[in-house]
This record gives sequence, structure tokens and C-alpha cells, in this order.
Amino acid sequence: MPHDARPQADLAALLARVGLGDRSAIAALYQATSPNLFAAILRINPRRDLAEDVLQETFINVWRNAGSFDAARSQPMTWLTSIARNSAIDSLRRASARIQTVSTHVGSAEDGDEVDLSDTVESPGEGPLQLLQRAAEKRDIEHCVGKLSAEQQQCVALAYYQGLSHGEVASHLAQPLGTVKSWLRRALLALKDCLGHAAGVKA
Amino acid sequence: MDYGRRELADRLAAEYVLGTLRGPARRRFESLLGGHPALRAAVVSWQQRLEPLAAGIEPVQPPDRVWRQLQGRLFGEAPQPAPWWRRVGPWRAFSGVALSAVLVLGVLVQQVPPPQAPLVVVLGANPDAAQPVPARFVASLSPDGRALVLRPIDAPALSAQQVLELWAVPPSGAPRSLGLVRADGATTVLRAQLLSDTAAFAVSVEPSGGSPTGAPTGPIVSVGQLQI
Repeated sequence: MPHDARPQADLAALLARVGLGDRSAIAALYQATSPNLFAAILRINPRRDLAEDVLQETFINVWRNAGSFDAARSQPMTWLTSIARNSAIDSLRRASARIQTVSTHVGSAEDGDEVDLSDTVESPGEGPLQLLQRAAEKRDIEHCVGKLSAEQQQCVALAYYQGLSHGEVASHLAQPLGTVKSWLRRALLALKDCLGHAAGVKA
Repeated sequence: MDYGRRELADRLAAEYVLGTLRGPARRRFESLLGGHPALRAAVVSWQQRLEPLAAGIEPVQPPDRVWRQLQGRLFGEAPQPAPWWRRVGPWRAFSGVALSAVLVLGVLVQQVPPPQAPLVVVLGANPDAAQPVPARFVASLSPDGRALVLRPIDAPALSAQQVLELWAVPPSGAPRSLGLVRADGATTVLRAQLLSDTAAFAVSVEPSGGSPTGAPTGPIVSVGQLQI
């Protein structure tokens, strides 16, 4: 139900086979889940080339660690998404460390006509808050998200969808760091009560 | 773990999963996970709680190259047999008699004074084709490498569902599509960089609409190497 591609049970079976080193299983898993994971990565690291690297790293991690996936404790898509998000957040650190060395190449014409505009132009419209609202509708957690103040919703959405740190959220919203930290802390506490309950009821 | 520490562990787990725990603190937290099952459990709980948020993101299909490169990194090999453009390598070998099929006039043209003279590449029938067909084209390129006019000399016979697609073949790596070309007349192709990283031009037969994969799928009927 939650993810459009395949039921979680199928993904769990695929992950079990990946854990045994089945190459066709990782191919099927990639086909089924890479669009969702790539989208999540792109939100956090919008540089297409880096995001493609992160997607590869994600599946290398999956290939190596699928044996440790515990279907009794984790949903496959949750596990996969977490690996992808972690790699994406780590890539931000590397990217900021690399900016100085990369800058000389920026704007070089060597790619010429091969530059696909969709690679460089950010997708229009959808802000993180809209994504949060869509998620709430899709997954029936509007009552949970609705419990958060507008500021809290914005903080959560900026942190989750764009991978912003406390400091970055603060400067994005032009608010003091302490204020943003306390908004986020209260938001997480509220979500813990509500989402924990929602998840418990569903499972 | 006392209550205060449990509360702290849960808060750190939440910030770790949300992504706001950063820098050295994030790495320290990760290094603790291995030895602390309670911390791991808190992380898993937060991953499950926040997982619904991922549903707000519309999926984005990654480009095909990501899977191709990933296979190389996972299995240390390209799983498919060597693609045709690597097998075309032997074209260097038939420099003698067969070279008449791949006449490159660019060198001659370059030695002649007028610097603005176009570069001409003759694409001959592909000698590596499973069933070679008489298919020859002439490509005239503007010296700045931004315009190419392709004219058929001998066009291959095509069914109603088939079209011809022109490719720029780099010295290594996958060919780039330059688009569909006519079998019955001249086609002009305008691109910013037709010559950069191009070792040869090739024409393949594709289903109508062109190659569905971004790489040549049909037989390569004609090849012409570029020599600058």
C-alpha cells in the first residue's frame, strides 16, 4: 500500500535473496525501488551527478548489508529509505568540502549539448511544506501533522525533505537557532506520540 | 540506562533520523550504534515513525547509466557482451584495402589553406554487421563543429516501422544520439559540440520514434571514423 511499486512482502523476499548474493534480485530491487530512493536523495542533494553517485552507494550498501536486514523489525522500504537518506546527508558534507576544488569546472562548456536542462534546473514549485502535506494526505496522518504549529511543520519539512541542519533551518526561516531547536524538539515529541500511535494501530 | 539518558538517546535518535544531527555529533552517534541495542531500537522506531513522510515525494526515474555503472561497481564487470562500438575497434586494423569504405577527407581538407573548409566524413557499410547491407552516407561538418549535414549515398531499405538514427561515437564509452536522419534526403543536425569527444559517426536502424533506450538497439549499418 504505502509505496506504489511493489508490496512490502515482495520487497522483503527480494531483500532476502539479495542477502544471499542473488544478482537478479538486486536488479529487481533496483527496478522496483530506485525511483523512490532517487527522488528522496535528490531532495536532499539536488546536484544530479552527486545524487546519482549516492544512489549507487545506497545499492552497494544494500548489496553488502542485505543479510543483516531483519524483516521482523523493519519494513523493507523503511530500511532502504534510511540507507538512502543517510548516504545523501553524508554526501552533503563531502559536497561542501569539495566545492573549492570543483568550482573551476563549473560553467565549462565541455559537456556542450550533452547537458540536459532537466539535470541542472531545479524542479519548479513544490516546496517542502507541500510535500509534507501530500504525505499527510496519502498516508492518513493529517491529524498528526495537523497537531504541529505552522512553524513546526516548516522546520520538520525543511529538515526531512531538504536535509537542512538546525543552523540551516534557522537561517532559512530567519529565526534564532535556539527557537528553531525548540520548535523541532517539540514537533518531534508531538509526532512521537501521534505517529507512534498511528503506526501501532496499523501494525 | 536511566530515564534522563533514555530521553537523551531518544532525542538524538530522532534528530539522527530527521537529519538534523550533523557533523562530528552524527558520526559519534553512528559509531555508538553498533554497541548499543537500545540506541539502535530507538533509531528503528524513529525510522518507522517518519517513514510516512517519504510518501510526499514523487518518484524520479534515475537515468539508465546509473544502473549500468552500479553493475560495474557491484560485480566488477560489464554483464553484457562488449557493445558494438567497442567491437568496432578493429576498424583501425583494416587500414588497407577496406579503408576505401571509410574515406576520411578531413585530413586533406585541413592541409588546404582555407581554414573555413568543411570537414567531410564518409560513412561506409559497417563491416562488422551481422548482415552487411550497402549503406553509405556523407557527413559534412562545419569547421566549428556545430552543424552537420548528412546525405545518403546508398540508403538501406527500411520497413514502415523503421527509421535511421545518427550517433556520435566517443573513443571510449557509449555513443550519443544525434537524432533521427532521413534515408531519402539530406538531414541537418545542429549541436553545440558535434566534434568534441567524437571518434566516429554511425548510423543504426531503429524502431520508429528512434532508439527507446538511448543507445543503439538495431543493426549498425554504416560507420565512418573521424580523423582530425
